[in-house]
Amino acid sequence: METPERWVVLVCVAVRMIVSLSFPQLQQQLDKSVEFSTPFTSYRSLREGVYMLKQGFELYNGGVIHHSPLLVVLMSLIEPEFLVSLLYACLDALIAYQLACIARCFSKSITIPAWIPCLLYSLNPLALLSCVSRSSVIFTNVCISTAVLHALQGNVLVASVAIATAGYLSLYPLLLVFPLFAIFETRSSRVKAAAITSFTVAVLLTLSYTACGNNWAFLDATYGSLVRFDKLFPNLGLWWYFFAEMFDAYVPFFKAVFNIVVVSFIAPLTVRFYRQPCYAFVLCVGWITLTKPYPTLGDAGFLLGFLPLFHPLFGYLRYSALSCLLFLHAVVLSPIFYHLWVDLGSGNSNFFYAITLVYALAIASIVADLCWAMLRFEYDHGKPNYQLKVTQI
Amino acid sequence: MKGIGIALFLSWLLSLAICDTEVAESSALEIDQDIVLPNDDDAPSSTVVDSCVLDVPYDAYSGSTVVDDQSSVKNVDENTNVEISPSIDVKEEISYPYEEKLMIKPLPNNYLLTSFSFRMDSEEFMPGKSALDYDGYGHYTVFPMAFKPMMDRTATRQLHLRFTRGFWDSESWGRLPHDGFKSGGSGVELWAIIEAESDDQAYKQWKILANSLSGLFCASINFIDTSKTTYPVKSFQPDGQLPLFDDTKKLFLVRAALANEPVCTENLTPFVKLFPTKGRSGISTLLDGHKVFDSSWHSLSIDITTECSASGETCKYQMEALVDVVMNVPNVLARNERPIPKPVAGDKLRCDLSKPFDAFQCFPLPEETKVSYSLSKIYGKQILGSNEISNHPSHVCVDATDDWTAYIKIDDTYFSTDDNCFELKSSLNHDVYLESENTSSVIRYESAPLYVSRSLTGYGQDRGGLRTVFKNPHSNPVKAVYFESLPWFMRVYLSTLKLEPGENCDGDGGISLERVMNSTYYLPAVDRARPTHLEYVITVPANTSFAISYQFDKSLLQYAEYPPDANHGFEIESAVITIIEPSEYQMRTATLLLLLSTPDFSMPYNVIILTSTVIGLIFGTLFNLIMKRVVSMQLADRVQATSGIKYKIKMLKQKLLSKVKRLTG
Repeated sequence: METPERWVVLVCVAVRMIVSLSFPQLQQQLDKSVEFSTPFTSYRSLREGVYMLKQGFELYNGGVIHHSPLLVVLMSLIEPEFLVSLLYACLDALIAYQLACIARCFSKSITIPAWIPCLLYSLNPLALLSCVSRSSVIFTNVCISTAVLHALQGNVLVASVAIATAGYLSLYPLLLVFPLFAIFETRSSRVKAAAITSFTVAVLLTLSYTACGNNWAFLDATYGSLVRFDKLFPNLGLWWYFFAEMFDAYVPFFKAVFNIVVVSFIAPLTVRFYRQPCYAFVLCVGWITLTKPYPTLGDAGFLLGFLPLFHPLFGYLRYSALSCLLFLHAVVLSPIFYHLWVDLGSGNSNFFYAITLVYALAIASIVADLCWAMLRFEYDHGKPNYQLKVTQI
Repeated sequence: MKGIGIALFLSWLLSLAICDTEVAESSALEIDQDIVLPNDDDAPSSTVVDSCVLDVPYDAYSGSTVVDDQSSVKNVDENTNVEISPSIDVKEEISYPYEEKLMIKPLPNNYLLTSFSFRMDSEEFMPGKSALDYDGYGHYTVFPMAFKPMMDRTATRQLHLRFTRGFWDSESWGRLPHDGFKSGGSGVELWAIIEAESDDQAYKQWKILANSLSGLFCASINFIDTSKTTYPVKSFQPDGQLPLFDDTKKLFLVRAALANEPVCTENLTPFVKLFPTKGRSGISTLLDGHKVFDSSWHSLSIDITTECSASGETCKYQMEALVDVVMNVPNVLARNERPIPKPVAGDKLRCDLSKPFDAFQCFPLPEETKVSYSLSKIYGKQILGSNEISNHPSHVCVDATDDWTAYIKIDDTYFSTDDNCFELKSSLNHDVYLESENTSSVIRYESAPLYVSRSLTGYGQDRGGLRTVFKNPHSNPVKAVYFESLPWFMRVYLSTLKLEPGENCDGDGGISLERVMNSTYYLPAVDRARPTHLEYVITVPANTSFAISYQFDKSLLQYAEYPPDANHGFEIESAVITIIEPSEYQMRTATLLLLLSTPDFSMPYNVIILTSTVIGLIFGTLFNLIMKRVVSMQLADRVQATSGIKYKIKMLKQKLLSKVKRLTG
């Protein structure tokens, strides 16, 4: 670890610990906000799982627990509040450090020092607050960043295990195997990665099966209800209001359609950007953030963490101002409008719904703009020519 | 399911009609039957059996006094009889297993509790055999005909139904009547013990039972489904051993409650019709919906159990139906005087003259402690004679201190007894007259062993908490079972369960959750399929109070799942507390009103269109970016110029023109 990065990582841990310790109520407040917590990622449902486990109740017999069994078991081993805060802070610092390492992998094309993405991630309020809220999304994010880093370094084993774990924790990241495998250069390493990934998933599922007292009920409670969108809770995604208002008869059909939308762009993005598989990977992360059923701002914070890696493309971005404004608009107004609707009753659900649309447009405009910038970059063969007018036919 | 209920109800009505015509025919033919016929209202003294009025009405009549100027004192003796002219000769009395009682009890603050109780037994039957195999009579007498087929079909061994509304002020009125075991939470409560092979089968039978009862009582009991049904493990346990007709089966205790069910006249009418007197004679004549439901608290209950002989060969159903009503007497009397509420005239105001008093100021006096009223003033009618169907005469008792005097008025004569209990033996109109110099002197019920109140905490429509306060004012610890069933859209976090010690809790005495709460049974909810079911045994130490609280999230429902008045909120059924020690007692908390966040109900099309548009926009943009070729502007223009639509139209135009030219030229 080089000196500036070491400092940045320390700052990352320190900031998170200071915020958690000096505002002990903040964790609960954030855990109750729709922006940082969903039924599938909230810390209080994780705690409920730990409680159930300790009391000897069945974990997945109804109730509010949708976390993976092994995560619940892991959290049941860490009892003191301080250690939990430290664990979350360290995991977040690990993500920050891995971003720096990824930046170093691209040191040829990226001119900024490697510690900049690391620092930006550390000070990104979305990532910071998501970490403080102890949303379990951080576990998935660590796995994803580990996977992409080790894939870039050519470490097939770790990358495959990491992506399998990410998929095990929240299912949709399993789609990222396509862009991830594109990072591996040889066919043999891809086959090896596929084998290791499936093996890891099988092992994790078997372990969970044993941890749940030889019961497959966890599959339905974690993945089944995620894919079926069983829990109708307001969040920043596009799903909840659509299915709250949808007519009964069409609900299964549209749930299938929405799931297909999530899957739809993974393969095309991978194929189109097969020369820049790492960028394809990030675009896929963006696409999943946009279309997944229970997104949080933690996902967005993670996605933004990758943006500094696109530094060479910034000159090509067409709607950077629009994206920024849309994003700020959504992030600032969503808690306000939610408060107006749910607490004060002076607004109705459409207020918050409008914000979710804006948020979707913001993420989409970032993804689409990056996509365009990459196409343009390819067209210029790495030598920027901003004056050239280019179009698509 | 609902059809079956309605069919049962119709068949029951039909059978009633048939029964009535049969009775009418037999009386017309004057067949000498061993039956005591109920009297017609209009002719109270025309058909009366000798033995009924030949007896002295009351054994103790020494205390009889004049209570009214118009009526003279009647010192009842052997010779004082009402002239009767029997039209039917009955050879001997036949006793039907039917009994009815009325208990009148003044409560503090001018409230009055009237408890009606009706008991009846079915004819004996042999379990597992059809009526044809049974040698004895296989007919119906006093037991309501609607119930037996239903009980047989659903293999119900015990049935408990409660219709309750209002607020029982246990802090001033004391214990609930019948120790609380006969009153439910606000709304409708139903539990039954069903014999079945499996729990699926038990649920099917339970559903049939609920639907039948729904038709019978005109209540929405048919809305009971899996999302409202619980299988209590510690509460509601039957007292003794229940008979099992088929040894291969098991007994299942099933329960559900509908907190938002309004209890009203349409429930009382079929209720009264269950009795053999049909509300036409005996104390059930008092049960008028207008009066019963114009009360501070009322509870209608039905309990049916199966009793078998020691050998287990013959069994019978026993039914107990109770109606308990608490009324505020001054309010009811005032309403009699002024059916339309109007302000009291100035000169009729009762003002405290020791305080400033003039035309504009009046400090009201406390309520008058001297009252006199009759039951007919409270219920709007008199008791139309005895029930005349069993050899237990209808029984009326007044339970009050010596400051109260109770008389029974038969026609225009007043009688009194030492123990304030009266037996109605004649078919004349009866009325109970109550008089007191000091209404604040009432027989105190023993105070309730435990006070429990439950409330919702937090604001906002997305989450909240439940807080239950336990208060034991007595000097001995209380052990109780707490039962709670919550709808699935409350997502309970049991890990947030915590205990807050009350005021007089000694802090270092170590009152902790582990110490007061044990053997917890918790079954989390399943969306749309199962309610949260929480039961625990709690020990409240002497002279302590504390609160137990936990948090929950409120789920958003689908558009169509909201009731029409979605912003009214959802009623949460009351928690049931069954006290085991020091004495058996059951109580319920008040129901709660839970507000859920609602979507905009006018928007389904807009939402579908807007979301689809945004997804389409995003999808289309990305699709274009990925699929199209990137070229420079000049190249694009060139291509456009040689392959675009404009180019094609131009080419077509040229072609056409050249053809036209060729043709013309």
